[in-house]
Amino acid sequence: MTEPILEIDDLSISFSTRAGDIPAVMNFSAAIDPGQALGLVGESGCGKSTVALGVMRDLGANGRIVGGSIRFKGRELTTMGNADLRRIRGREIAMIYQEPMASLNPAMKVGRQLVEVPMIHEGASFATARGQALSILDAVRLPDPRRILDAYPHQLSGGQQQRIVIAMALMSKPALLILDEPTTALDVTVEAGIVDLVKDLGREFGTSMLFISHNLGLVLETCDRICVMYSGEAVETGPIVEVFDEMRHPYTQGLFRSIPLPGADKTTRPLIPIPGNFPLPHERPRGCNFGPRCEAYQAGRCDAGDVPMLAISPRHETRCLRAREIDWDAPPPGGKGQAASVPGDVVLSVREMDKTYSVGSSALFGGDRRVVKANESVSFEARESETLAIVGESGCGKSTLAKVLLGLETATRGTVALGNLQIGDAPVEARARGTVSSIQMVFQNPFDTLNPSHSIGGQIIRVLEKFGVGSSQAERETRMLELMDLVRLPRAFARRMPRQLSGGQKQRIGIARAFAGTPKVVVADEPVSALDVSVQAAVMDLLMDIQRESRTTMLFISHDLSIVRYISDRVMVMYLGHVVEIGSTAAVFAPPYHPYTEALLSAAPVADTSVRRKRIVLHGDIPSALDPPPGCPFQTRCPRKAQVPGTLCETDLPPLRRLSPDHAVRCHLDDAALAAMEPFIDRPAVPA
Amino acid sequence: MDPEFLGTGAIIGGTLLRFLPVWIGLAVVMGGSFVFRRRLAIYGQIYDSPIGITGLGLVLFWVLTAIFADQIALFDPYVQLRALQNKLPGAIDAETGRAFLFGGDALGRDVFSRMVYGSRSVMVIAPLATLFAYMVGIMLGLPAGFFGGWLDTLLSFLANLVLAFPVILLFYLLVTPEIRATAIPGTMAAVLFIFPVLFLLVFFWSRFRERPEVLWYYLAPILLVGGFVYLGLIGAWDPTGLIAMDANTLNIFLAVVFISSPTVFRIVRGLTLDIKTRDYVSAAQTRGERPWYIMMWEILPNARGPLIVDACLRIGYTTILLGTLGFFGLGVSPESPDWGSTINEGRKLLRVFVHPALPPALAIMSLVLGLNLLADGLREQSMKD
Repeated sequence: MTEPILEIDDLSISFSTRAGDIPAVMNFSAAIDPGQALGLVGESGCGKSTVALGVMRDLGANGRIVGGSIRFKGRELTTMGNADLRRIRGREIAMIYQEPMASLNPAMKVGRQLVEVPMIHEGASFATARGQALSILDAVRLPDPRRILDAYPHQLSGGQQQRIVIAMALMSKPALLILDEPTTALDVTVEAGIVDLVKDLGREFGTSMLFISHNLGLVLETCDRICVMYSGEAVETGPIVEVFDEMRHPYTQGLFRSIPLPGADKTTRPLIPIPGNFPLPHERPRGCNFGPRCEAYQAGRCDAGDVPMLAISPRHETRCLRAREIDWDAPPPGGKGQAASVPGDVVLSVREMDKTYSVGSSALFGGDRRVVKANESVSFEARESETLAIVGESGCGKSTLAKVLLGLETATRGTVALGNLQIGDAPVEARARGTVSSIQMVFQNPFDTLNPSHSIGGQIIRVLEKFGVGSSQAERETRMLELMDLVRLPRAFARRMPRQLSGGQKQRIGIARAFAGTPKVVVADEPVSALDVSVQAAVMDLLMDIQRESRTTMLFISHDLSIVRYISDRVMVMYLGHVVEIGSTAAVFAPPYHPYTEALLSAAPVADTSVRRKRIVLHGDIPSALDPPPGCPFQTRCPRKAQVPGTLCETDLPPLRRLSPDHAVRCHLDDAALAAMEPFIDRPAVPA
Repeated sequence: MDPEFLGTGAIIGGTLLRFLPVWIGLAVVMGGSFVFRRRLAIYGQIYDSPIGITGLGLVLFWVLTAIFADQIALFDPYVQLRALQNKLPGAIDAETGRAFLFGGDALGRDVFSRMVYGSRSVMVIAPLATLFAYMVGIMLGLPAGFFGGWLDTLLSFLANLVLAFPVILLFYLLVTPEIRATAIPGTMAAVLFIFPVLFLLVFFWSRFRERPEVLWYYLAPILLVGGFVYLGLIGAWDPTGLIAMDANTLNIFLAVVFISSPTVFRIVRGLTLDIKTRDYVSAAQTRGERPWYIMMWEILPNARGPLIVDACLRIGYTTILLGTLGFFGLGVSPESPDWGSTINEGRKLLRVFVHPALPPALAIMSLVLGLNLLADGLREQSMKD
C-alpha cells in the first residue's frame, strides 16, 4: 500500500480572542492517498477552511495548532521551520481560493504572475518559464494563451481568472492541491467547466486534492472520499459513494434531507430542515456537538462525554454513539404534506417590456453613446398564489427586471401591469402608498439587507409607518410583534441589533419586512443562496408557508435549479436580457428544452449517486450586454447550432414558440430536433 | 535685583499640585467610564485599547484645564510684572510670594498661566469649528454622493476650488481690515451658520413627516433655539449678549469652518457612494422612502465610525491651524494668551530664552498627539467589531 501524501492525525487548532481561546478544529484526522481527492464538507463556521489553512500553516496571528500532527510526504508540517515551509508552499502544496480576483495581483500582467512561480521555485530562466506558462494555459483550456499572458486580470472574465489561478497553482506541479470553494463565486455553466478541468487535471498530473465545498453535488462529482465536518469536528468520513448511500451520522442525514434532490416536492415531499442553530464555538454542548439538534438524541448518553470516531466499515467512520442502533432506512418522520394551492387571477402582467441603459464613454467630449439592452421584449404573466421562478446566470437581466417591477428603474418600452394599474413607467416615488406596499422584495444578502444601525423592531415599525399600517405607534408595535411570530422568531429579538442575529434570522426579518404591508407580489432575489444548506430549507419553508396563507404571488429569482424545481410552479429562463424559455416547472424540466436550459440543467451538480446525467459543458463566456451577438443571443455558445440549417441563428432572433399551452421556447430548432431531445437525467425511482 | 527661585523639584511639585482639579476630574471621568465601559458603546470600547486610553487622557487633560483655568492659573495672564521679565522658571514674585512656575516672558507675564488660559480659546474654537464644518460637509456631501450627476460635479468642483486656494493667503485676506469692512464675513457667517439648523430640521423632518403629531415636538424647539443662536451668531439680534462672538474670533471661526468643510464634504461623499449600494438602501427605496430620509437615517448612521475617527483628527488639524493663525497674529487680539501668539512672542528671544516659547508648543503637541492617538484607538476598536 502506498504512503498517503497527506496524513492529518488528531489535529486541533485554536484561535485566541479577547474572550479567550476558542477551539476551531478538534481532533481532526484524515488522509489523502496519491492521486486521490478528499472532499471536506460542512456549513460555514464548521472549521473546514481552518483545516486547509492549518495544512498551509497560515493561521494568522491568532491561530495556533494546539495538538496533533500533519504529515506531508512523511514530513511533519506542524513543527517545520519557516524556511522549509516556504519551499513547500506553492511548490508542493498549492492553494486555490474562492475569489479569483483576490488571488491575482491586479497591477501585474497575468504572464508576469505566472512566470514568477517557476522562476522562484525552480530558478528557471524567463524564457523557459514563459514557455511553461504557455503550455499550462493550454492545459487549463484557455483560448489564445499569448493574448491572455499579456492581459491584466481585470480584462478577463471570472471563469478565465479562476483558470489562471488554477494554472498558477499547477505551474510547479504540486503534489497536493487545496481548493477552497473554488467555484462558489462563478456561474453554473462556468462552474461545470472548471469542475471538469479540475477532475481531468487530477487524472493527468496525478495531483492529490483537498476539495473544500458546501455543495454536496459538487463533491460527489469531484472526490473519491468525503469528510463531513460539524462544529469543528469530523463527524463522518468514508468513500464518497458509501457515505452518500449509507450515511451513518444524523447530521449527514439531516443535510441530505434538507437539500432539494430530484423527487422532492413542496406539496408531497417537502424538505426537512435541521431544527435549531449551529452552536457558537464557545457555546458547544457537552458530549456530541450535534446532540441538541439531533432526533436520535438520548440524554445521559449522548451528552455524557466526548464521542469518539466509530468504524462502520474499514474505511468508513462516524462520530455517533448510536450509529448501529438507528434505523437508517426509516422514512423521514412525517414530512407535513400540504395541499397544492390553486393559482387565481393574473396579478402581474408584463408585455413586451424593454429596459435599456445608455452608457457614454465620455459625455463631456461627446464620445459614442452606446446602448445596453438589459431586458428585451420580456413578456410574462404571474397569477395569484403562484411562484414564478426567474432563472439565469449573472448578467442575464433578472435583477434589472426586478428593479423595474419595484420602481427603482422604469421600463423603456412596453407595459407592466399590477392588476389593472400600469406601473412600468412609474418610479417608486411616483407610486401611491398602496401600490408600493403591494409589490415588495426580499433581498439576497442577509448581511446587507438590514441597516446595522437600527434595532430589528424599529426597522419593521418604520416599514409599517411607511405603509400606513395601524393608526398609532402602539398598534404598529403590536403588528410588529405579530410579524415576528409569523416568521417564527422570538419576540425578544425586536430589541436586538442586526449584528446579534445569524444569517438565517436576518433573512427572516427581511421576509417579515416584505410581507408587512400584505403585498400582492413579492420578488425574492436569491433569498437563500447566501445561507447554509440546513438553514436554506427552513427559510424556504417559511417563505412558502407565508405565501400559501396570504396567497401572494412570488417571483423567485435564482440560479440554483434544484431549488427552483422544488419551490416554483412555473419557470422563466433568461439569457442576455431575453426570455428564452417559459413554462410550467414540469414542462421546463422535461424535454424538449431550449439548448441553454438543457446546458444549465446538465451543469448543475446533483447530490445523488443514483442520478446519471448527461453532461453538456458550454464553451466560452456569456457575451457582454454592451456587445450582444446578432440573431439568437445564445448562438455563440449553443451546442445545437449545427442542427439549424443555414445561418438562421446568426441573423434572426427566434420567436417565442408555443410548444404546449403552458410552454414556450425561443429557438430555431425544428420540431423534430426538439422532439428528439432526451431527459438530462435518469430520474431515480421515487421510494414510496 | 534678582528674585528668588524655586528648585527643580519644587517647580515640578508645584506644577503638579496646581493641576489638582484636573487630576481629580480625570480620575472621576475615566474611573467612572472604565467601570461602566461595557454599557458605553464605542466610547466605552476606547478603554480596551492602551493607545485609546492614552489619547483620551491627553485630550481630557486639556479639556479639564480649560474648564478649571481660573483655579489652576496663579496669575492673571495679562498682568505684567516688570521684575520678572524674562526670568527663568521658578522665579518668585516678591509681592505675592507666588512663583512663575514656567518663568516670565519678555513683558513679565507668567508663562504657566498664559499656557493654561491659552487652552480656553483652542478648546472652544477647535471642536465647535469642526462640528460646524461637519454640518456643512454632511449637508452637501450626502446629496452629492447620493444623487450624483451635475449636483455632484458642481459641489465637488467648488470643494476642489476651496482646497486648491492657499490656506494662509485665504486667512490673510479674511482678516485684513479692508475685507472685514465689506459684507463678505457677514455673508459667510449667514451662509455657514445656517447649516447646523438645516441639518437638525431635515434630520427630524425626514423621519417624522408622516407623523405630524410628533413632528412639531422636534421642529419647534429646533426652530426656536436654533433660530435664536443663529441670529446671535451672525450678529443680527442678540438681546442676551451671550452668543455673539467678537469680530476677531468670528473671523477665525469662519475661516476654519470654510477651510475644513470641503475635506469633510469629500469624506462624506465617498462614504455615501459606498453605502448607497447596500441592500438596506435599496430596501428603503422599495418601500418608498424619500431621499433625505435615506441619506439621514439609512446612510449617515452607518458612516459614523469613519466620521468620528476623522473628526478627532480634524480637531487636531484645527488646533494646529489655530496655532498657525496665532503665530502670524491673524485674527487675535495683540495680548491674547493663545498658544500660537505666545510661541511667536517667545520666538523673538529664542536664542537667549527658550522657556517662554516651549510650554505653549508642548501644549499644542500634546493635545494634537492626544487627538491622533484617540483617533487611532477608535479606529482600532471599531475594526474589531
